[in-house]
Amino acid sequence: MRRASRERLSERRPAARAAASAVLVVYALLLAAGLGLSSAYRMTGGDYPFGAVRSGAWTVWPRAGSRDADPYTRAVNARTGGIPLGVGEGLVLRAAADDAGRALDARCTYRLGTTAPQARYWTLALYDETGRPVETPLGRASFSSAEILRDANGSFTLVLSREAQSGNWLMMPEAGAVNLVMRLYDSPASSGAAALDARSLPSIVRLECSS
Amino acid sequence: MTLRSQFLLATICAFVLAGIVHLATVLAIPHLAEKDAFSRLRATLSTDRSEIVAAPGDQGTWLPYPDPGVALSTCAYTLDEGPVRVSARTGALFQSLSLHARTGGVFFAITDRAAIRGALDLVVMTRRQLDEALASEDPDEPSRDVRIVSPAREGLVVVRVLAIFPSQRGEATEAAKAVSCTIDRE
Repeated sequence: MRRASRERLSERRPAARAAASAVLVVYALLLAAGLGLSSAYRMTGGDYPFGAVRSGAWTVWPRAGSRDADPYTRAVNARTGGIPLGVGEGLVLRAAADDAGRALDARCTYRLGTTAPQARYWTLALYDETGRPVETPLGRASFSSAEILRDANGSFTLVLSREAQSGNWLMMPEAGAVNLVMRLYDSPASSGAAALDARSLPSIVRLECSS
Repeated sequence: MTLRSQFLLATICAFVLAGIVHLATVLAIPHLAEKDAFSRLRATLSTDRSEIVAAPGDQGTWLPYPDPGVALSTCAYTLDEGPVRVSARTGALFQSLSLHARTGGVFFAITDRAAIRGALDLVVMTRRQLDEALASEDPDEPSRDVRIVSPAREGLVVVRVLAIFPSQRGEATEAAKAVSCTIDRE
């Protein structure tokens, strides 16, 4: 009964029907543009959304520095101005959380160690959330494989904290989220992240946090 | 068709269209970007020397996630006027050189291990320029140039020199600055 009366109504008022269709077309176009543009914008503003390989606390984007980097990787670099490290140059590993998966926080103390993957040189640098090297009164934001002090077995321990520590120590900024980037220069691992053994990566252990 | 089913149909169409818009946007970003590395370095197209983008320990660079131990210098190039000859001298410090196409993708990378008598020399050219060079070459005296075909007409030459100790920062910056990128007119 209701259906029949509605059909009759629409037959009687074709102008109203056309107006409803026009509104729906405009609605569909606006929704498509809004969703399409905003999702593209969000996915290309920060990290590379695809191709990540996780190993413990560390993340590698092995294809980011190759000829066949995916379109999202290219778009991220185009928007941020990033210049990726080529596959033949080395490999970039990033950690934004400790081994237990808790985000790295400047108010906490972390112990890193004790091994690093095979490479001619490596550097370990501390950044703030926006990708700037941390600014501390000490003026140091990184350690290189040549600078770091090692024990008799060749293993090392690096402490990240606000307060001074003996041995290898990287000073944390006052507050905020931080992330660590390890770069392996001229490493056999750069030809494929598969060659990267999780046990060879330094572990990141949270020791304590000041509130 | 009832109004409700029309509305549902419009929403489904919108989602499909949104997917197309999304993909088109992602693919278009490298071509439209104004803050990508190539656009920022466009001014260096006319100079023959590379320009320092991030000196070791430099806080003021626009480069995201700069390695505080690395001096990074680049030359932007276009292959419109001819092949580009890149030459770098290697020293005691770790040095690497990579070629980036403008719209993304590292198409060549090499480290100082590949240097011959302390020099890294490359000629970057298009496929067509390579064909021309091969055609005009004397078969008895083949060129000794290392020729690299660029997938795009525009791109960046990026040189990284690692200062493993803070005392080497000045030396690393000088080495990175000394890279030349000249247009090869024959």
